Amino acid sequence: MKISKSLYSYYLIWPALIIYSAFFVLPAIVGLFYSFTDWRLDREVIQFIGWDNFNRIFTDKTLILAIKNTFIFAIITVIGKNVLGIALAVGLNMRLKTRNLLRVIFYSPSILSVLVISIVFTPMLRSEGTINKLFEAVGLGSLSQAWLTDPSIVIWTVAAVSIWQHTGFQMAIYLAGLQSISKEYYEAATIDGAGAWKSFLKITLPLLLPAININLMLTLIGGLKVFSEVFVLTGGGPGNASQVVGTIILRAFGEGSWGLGTAINTLLFVVVTIISIPLLIFMRRKEVTE
Amino acid sequence: MIAGLMSVSLAACGSGNSNSESSASNGGSNNGNKGEKVTIELAISKSSQDSAFVAQDLLDEFEEKTNIHVNLQLLPAEQTSTVLQTKLAVDETPDIIQYNLASATTDLNLERNFEILDNEPWVSRLLNKDVLSAYGHVYSFHVSQDTGMQGVVYNKDMFKELGLSIPQNFEEFLAVCEKIKASGITPVFMPFKDNWAANIWPAAAFADYAAKNEPALFDDLNANRKKWTDIPEFETFLQQQYDVYKKGYTNTDILSDSYDMAVGKFLNKEVAMMFMGDWLIENVAEKDPNIHLGLFAIPSSEGASLGASPLGGQLFIPKKAKHMAEAKKFLDYIATKEVAQKIVDQRKYVSIFSDVTTPELPEYKQDIVDQYITPKKTVLTTDAYMLVDRSELYRSLQDQFAGGKTPEEVLADWNDKFSQLMKDKGVSGF
Repeated sequence: MKISKSLYSYYLIWPALIIYSAFFVLPAIVGLFYSFTDWRLDREVIQFIGWDNFNRIFTDKTLILAIKNTFIFAIITVIGKNVLGIALAVGLNMRLKTRNLLRVIFYSPSILSVLVISIVFTPMLRSEGTINKLFEAVGLGSLSQAWLTDPSIVIWTVAAVSIWQHTGFQMAIYLAGLQSISKEYYEAATIDGAGAWKSFLKITLPLLLPAININLMLTLIGGLKVFSEVFVLTGGGPGNASQVVGTIILRAFGEGSWGLGTAINTLLFVVVTIISIPLLIFMRRKEVTE
Repeated sequence: MIAGLMSVSLAACGSGNSNSESSASNGGSNNGNKGEKVTIELAISKSSQDSAFVAQDLLDEFEEKTNIHVNLQLLPAEQTSTVLQTKLAVDETPDIIQYNLASATTDLNLERNFEILDNEPWVSRLLNKDVLSAYGHVYSFHVSQDTGMQGVVYNKDMFKELGLSIPQNFEEFLAVCEKIKASGITPVFMPFKDNWAANIWPAAAFADYAAKNEPALFDDLNANRKKWTDIPEFETFLQQQYDVYKKGYTNTDILSDSYDMAVGKFLNKEVAMMFMGDWLIENVAEKDPNIHLGLFAIPSSEGASLGASPLGGQLFIPKKAKHMAEAKKFLDYIATKEVAQKIVDQRKYVSIFSDVTTPELPEYKQDIVDQYITPKKTVLTTDAYMLVDRSELYRSLQDQFAGGKTPEEVLADWNDKFSQLMKDKGVSGF
């Protein structure tokens, strides 16, 4: 007893705490301060301007569009990555000969750099690109779209590419979760006459909840903070059609509106916190133990 | 153990601080000849490192003559403006900066940060003060006055084959397009995935209109006495560019095609024309000197002038330069007749100094000089008058093609953004 108490002193958290404070807490607080100022490239004196920056975020139609796009992106990718991730994990948890090969194939996109993804997908998504040609070849020419240049669908396209890339990562976490579920439950269920679907609903899903929770959090936070996929595929365009909060922050800094950029950043931080912490608590309560 | 750690951290400090270290060691070892050696810092974007002003032999000669060492700070290209903004803000100021005058006004707060050079000895020999000036003062230095021209880049050989002549107005331009299209070649290449490329036509057309009809227009726009939506001709010009696309005279997927494809399109003779700057002609000539490209003015109205980009690659001296006198000496040295002549000859520049002669120019450039520069048929594009970041204008222009916005809506959107940015900047009237 005594040994376990004195093995590590609390002082050992100091280095981590100092680094965390210096590089996260402090900048966050300073950022909070700057988001209430008119800090700009060409201002010599920084003035406190109250909520002006935030008022502007909610009146500028490009910023509103960006917020809307961010939520569309987050919701589609959360659903897509998790539904497909579970499906792939369940499928690849079965006794297949090519199981390991398939796991590698589905996981591999997530180790690619997002720039590579852009170079691969941009030509495929052109009006006369591979994807539309494929549709035409199978007689579905009517489905072909200007995937990256039609303002009404571009954010959906980017989300789809993101799902393609990251589902494999979610799959890996689900696979780990699945493998921790004891086979005995399924055997018992089979004896009781439960079908595959029923045992999935009653055994797999509840026992997979810890993995689902972590994946929901990861994909949701990742979705709200989306930047690189949009940046490399469309740059926020055409026009401003696929701007998200992340790219808008870059734009604000590029224009020299540093105060405004910081304010959007702060807002993003607050929104992510407000959504994810209650969600985390809620999901935790639902978890069951074996 | 602790000593080991310290030596590691000291070494880290040393490498992170290589600028001051190298300057110190230079000062120590080479100060044999005349007095103390001074090191001045010259900050330049990595993408401009082949600039004539930082050629090693020039720097060596300068050092030999004046005992002033120039230390180069190469800045990563995509972060140049951010790094310079930071350096200027925290007083870690280089003694000389190479940058573009027009961007310096929008990105680096020219008036606050840079020295006015009106009284330098070389100013009296300038043939063209405007390309080095802003707010009525000379702020920058260059030996060239060739700003780069913008208009319609066209394939001369194709024009000759099809018996076409240079269109003088928009109707003639459409007729030319029709004939090229009939011959099976795409008349105009629009790489509007890069939204700035959509700005070439309006930037020249707007400026040509203003120069001929309302010389004070950009002053009025910049003081909010006029709005971008007040000028019906601007809508006409935007509609013209859209018509070229709508009539089928362009590549089909204009929003997917990007500027980096342009050289290839001209090399493969897939396209005949493009709204672009003469830098494209140079890039194509480097790859294949047998393709003859030329440049004519954007045919937005009868006999329009050729658009001139604001000059780029000038040298600036920050107000807070630690070695102001030495930095000025560096400019004086490059401005001497011999040195300037050497650079102008080497680079085939159009000389800015009255006593430095312009060398023989490449064919396309000579054409531009004969047809537009000498008869004074050039006009600075709108970019030269813009005091704020223009990327939102480019996005609005792209939206005309993507979102089906009307020219009126494009201008209204830009007008809103423009007044917001000007207000933020603290310009009076907004």
